[in-house]
Amino acid sequence: MISIEEQQKLFVEISRRLNKEITVYAIGGTAMMFLGIKDSTLDIDLVFETERDKEVFKEAIQPLGYSNMDSAVVYGGKSNTPEMMKRGDERFDLFVINVIDFIFSDTMRQRAEQIHQFGTNLILKVADPHDIILMKCATDRLKDRDDAKKIIESRKIDWQIIVDEAKKQIKLGKTNTAWALGYFLEDLKNDLKIEVPQKILDELFKILESQVEKRDKSI
Amino acid sequence: MKTKELLKKLEGVHTITSISDLLNVSKQKAAYYIYRLRKAGYVKTKKLRDNRRVYSISFENRLGGSSYYDILNKNSPVKIATPKVYRIYGKEPTLEETLIYAIKTRSLRTILASLALFKKIENWKELYYLAKKNHIERQVGALYDLARKFIRTRKMTKRFRNNALPKEECPFVYMVDNLKSKDFRDIEKTWRTYLPFNTADLEDYK
Repeated sequence: MISIEEQQKLFVEISRRLNKEITVYAIGGTAMMFLGIKDSTLDIDLVFETERDKEVFKEAIQPLGYSNMDSAVVYGGKSNTPEMMKRGDERFDLFVINVIDFIFSDTMRQRAEQIHQFGTNLILKVADPHDIILMKCATDRLKDRDDAKKIIESRKIDWQIIVDEAKKQIKLGKTNTAWALGYFLEDLKNDLKIEVPQKILDELFKILESQVEKRDKSI
Repeated sequence: MKTKELLKKLEGVHTITSISDLLNVSKQKAAYYIYRLRKAGYVKTKKLRDNRRVYSISFENRLGGSSYYDILNKNSPVKIATPKVYRIYGKEPTLEETLIYAIKTRSLRTILASLALFKKIENWKELYYLAKKNHIERQVGALYDLARKFIRTRKMTKRFRNNALPKEECPFVYMVDNLKSKDFRDIEKTWRTYLPFNTADLEDYK
């Protein structure tokens, strides 16, 4: 587990070792820590804009004792899994634009308004809470549902933003989004007793129906 | 009451009296709540002239670091509320970086506040490098000429001026979308940059 203060020190240390300025997006527990929703996290989930930026970041953390880890241990056989680097019980999950079944889209990047700059070279943008929920749906690991619950309980959620982003993801070719999100939100509603408006679930289901219809026609 | 719950209820600026009124508790209990929040890093305290204390309570206080807005508010007579979170850790932002950030926000009030930075800016080499990197040399030059009309500033180096001055055929640029000045057309013409201020806007600098 890494606390807010430890995480800041770590990022400052990393920024000193970076040889160029890079921008990363915090999407998971790290983002929640910057938003004041969580006090500590096991894994630091970061999304990079380019493969090159990820490599530069990796080169900076390796001398700090982080070593590669098999992503199948955490993500199983999912696609677009991150490159994982581990030191003790801390872990970096490094994604490049694709986060499992989702794309960290340009609208998500625009919504990431909170900026934290470490030293000169590391600019960290914090994903919007709505997008963190979507990313939690994408990664869907143990604890991700609890984290989504915490976000929903601590922030006013505009569910339409989530549905609109799901539509955008489908346009970007992530056709599984409506299914995954609908399933995830329904679970939150039924298992964790979170108030997810039925209207939103219905809308996701409609999207799914129209996807099926389209596919049937094409066959 | 849990600390997180307290933070949620008390986020903002308070005195002991406002806290005890808000939570309907004694002043002693209110002081204890402040103590708990401070211990968690959520409180910044300021003493007023009459010795009363004002508490700024927010989660951002725990994050520490500094922000460009802190620097602007420290150096400028024009005060601004932080419109968005931009915190810097592991280094103290320079005045030159702050000026560049202010211009890049394209926000009228932030740019207005940044004029005061010219009083202290003296690393023209760094300022030129940053301005060039962000393609805003002309905006910096125009703001400098404007600041010179109202405040005592350090002198811009000839090298900065010569390098930053635009050519005749350069198209005009806006500092804030669609805003032009009626009173500083001479500066606008020199730098081929529209200034978003008139004399009346610079009251705080007189």
